Amino acid sequence: MTMNRHEAFEELISASLHGDLTDDERLRLNAHLDGCDRCRQTLAAFSDQRRMLAGLRHVAPPRDLGARVRAGVEYASVPWWRKPTTIFTAVGGTLAAVAGALLALVVLNGSPANPVGQASPTPNGPGPTASAPVSLPAQATPPPSTDATPGEPTPQPEATPTPAQLAAPPEPDMVVAFEPATSAGNEQSFKVVDGSSEDVILEPSPPEGPTATTGEPVAAELSSDGTFIAMVSREGLSGMDQVLVTHVGEGVAASSEASAEPTPTPPAAIGGTTALGASIAGSPFLERLAWSSDSRFLAYTLADPNGSGTDAWVFDTATNEFWQLTAVGDAYAASWVDVPDSEVPALWVSRAEGTVTSYLTAVMTDDGARVERVNPAADPLVVAEHVFQPLISPNGALAIYWDGVMTRLGDEWVFGEGGAPYLAEHRPFDEAAGSAFPEGRQLFSDLTIDREAFTSAAISWGTDGNAFAVWNAVWTGGDQGAQGTYPDEARVYFGHATDSGGLKEDHALDQSDLPADWSIVDVKVSPTGQDLVVMVAAPLAGDLSTPTAELWLVTRHTGDVADESRTLKSGEGIWYGPAVFDGYVEVDPGTETP
Amino acid sequence: MAVPDGLPWDVPAMTRRPEDAREAEFAALFEEFSSPIYNYVLRMVNDHDRAADITQDTFIKAYRKLDTVSEATSTRSWLYRIATNTAIDDMRRRRNVTTMSDDQPTFANRADSRPGPEAQVMAATLDERVQRALLSLRPNHRQCLLLSDLEDMSAHQIGEVMGLSYGAVRTLLCRARGEMRRALAAEGFAR
Repeated sequence: MTMNRHEAFEELISASLHGDLTDDERLRLNAHLDGCDRCRQTLAAFSDQRRMLAGLRHVAPPRDLGARVRAGVEYASVPWWRKPTTIFTAVGGTLAAVAGALLALVVLNGSPANPVGQASPTPNGPGPTASAPVSLPAQATPPPSTDATPGEPTPQPEATPTPAQLAAPPEPDMVVAFEPATSAGNEQSFKVVDGSSEDVILEPSPPEGPTATTGEPVAAELSSDGTFIAMVSREGLSGMDQVLVTHVGEGVAASSEASAEPTPTPPAAIGGTTALGASIAGSPFLERLAWSSDSRFLAYTLADPNGSGTDAWVFDTATNEFWQLTAVGDAYAASWVDVPDSEVPALWVSRAEGTVTSYLTAVMTDDGARVERVNPAADPLVVAEHVFQPLISPNGALAIYWDGVMTRLGDEWVFGEGGAPYLAEHRPFDEAAGSAFPEGRQLFSDLTIDREAFTSAAISWGTDGNAFAVWNAVWTGGDQGAQGTYPDEARVYFGHATDSGGLKEDHALDQSDLPADWSIVDVKVSPTGQDLVVMVAAPLAGDLSTPTAELWLVTRHTGDVADESRTLKSGEGIWYGPAVFDGYVEVDPGTETP
Repeated sequence: MAVPDGLPWDVPAMTRRPEDAREAEFAALFEEFSSPIYNYVLRMVNDHDRAADITQDTFIKAYRKLDTVSEATSTRSWLYRIATNTAIDDMRRRRNVTTMSDDQPTFANRADSRPGPEAQVMAATLDERVQRALLSLRPNHRQCLLLSDLEDMSAHQIGEVMGLSYGAVRTLLCRARGEMRRALAAEGFAR
């Protein structure tokens, strides 16, 4: 799309209203206005508009505003151990969460209620190999083991690790580094750096597209062959996000032996960035970036700020084209599935309205044409009711999905009643299983899910197909914590699918693992299955310093052993993260569930 | 700067503790900015109670971070940045954005509760019509227009508040003005 000559001058007309023109720009604009009726009308309309807004009625704040602020400030200065929890209800709707953060200062990890080896969150036992899909253990059997029979002792840490565990370092392969524009006039810059050194891998070119901008990245995923990074970047505090994809290299081809067909050569140059669309910034459901196992397709979701709701989109690296897959206003992209006897994978697409339902949807027709703007319910390959946005584990064997009643929130959807994540096996083509997601169970095994429950949460699988992390969990029900607020939006919950006890309150990372008051932006599970790379953002400082984010590596321990945490990437005024891992190995066709 | 009558947190009350310069500084900040911040947020969210909650949270956050303010000239941008962030956070979290109660005093009713468009345009005050046009804009367009035209901020200051570069603000403002022009036309303002 190119800008016509009037549109080019409209920006100058707009800037002229608040004196933001250079001398050259003013001369150019005046010369153009002399001979252009249309732009003179635009100037008059914009000037009227500015007068109308400036003349909006001034409204006096409530008389008790000062008293409320004073109460809040004085309350903040009271030591946390002297604060009754009931006071929070009088000081503002958001303070219940503050209460949780203040009262949950207990070090949970050393709890005697959770000794090592008793259905604990220990990640030390051998997990399933990446090529061996796991089945879920029976619920509430003590040891989280894939090999031991129920009742046998928990495998000890010295048990022989899998090759993947031996070889995998905990550090991420790549990290996105973003330097925002500063008040001193520095323009923003954007790099991809090595996860374990200071090396700059790539300085991508600015995104292409008339509305493309870059801001702080808040989500990122690397294609499984390591050739593309997809990102969600935040457009400052504007409430809008951009979805971007950058071609980072020829790829590590970690699983090239398993693939009979070579990856098609992408037409986009290395370092090129493509803007895939703008979206309302919202819940983690909108930040899902799903790569197909062959690295050809990316699926993502855009929430249209003009009111048409949410729909799933697809980007094809083979052609560098992207398109709107659905046109129903309540669809979310979830995960890709390799379809037997087909070269093109299909996409789980979920619809939010009514009974949440997921539809396995073809993205290309048999003759290679794109499937565009469809209702995924019209002609699905597989249907799964009461399943929303299933996140399929990297080996394809398991899924974490959501169920509950969703409600429309502006231009997106979140859970309004009974929302909760569930863990299940994933057998989309196994008719004998009776369901595409059999053996479903609550992910948080110690929570009572009532009408008031989760609104949303961010969830990430580890590359081992066993470990997973949950964070930014927004809970609207009553506090169910035995040791502090639970669930707590400010905590990271780290679990393993093979843990028969399920995910529990004491699976939260130690609060001391991460900087106090910093907010969690993104979490990735290292291939080791026991390390997390956590991206945290600094609170707003009063000096208008640029947004800052750091990456922390947290090694999870249990029992009396405290977690270990250290900074991986930090720098003043630099937004480090998200991190990405490659090596999302594909399922060995010989062991895949038929 | 207009300050509501009977504000219980007035400067004299705070300066009864002269040893606490921080308290006095904050009281002055509240006196100068509480009303404009409240109005800015009110125009953003179109709900008096939520605007009050967001303004309250803004000043509580500001109090906690007051020590980090380094330049007096940027205090205004900093406060608006906190307010913007808090308002966006509120908009993300609110659960019933489409079911605003009828007894809630607002500038503009929801579209589906209006009478016919013509009658509505005739009946509404100028203020209501402008607010209704504002509400139809996407949030980032609404923000930058309010900061520019209601708060009279420069593109540079808007960039500080919204975390955008100077060039991005100019582009965003132009798009916002174009969108607002169409929205005002739908409200019967022909030009």
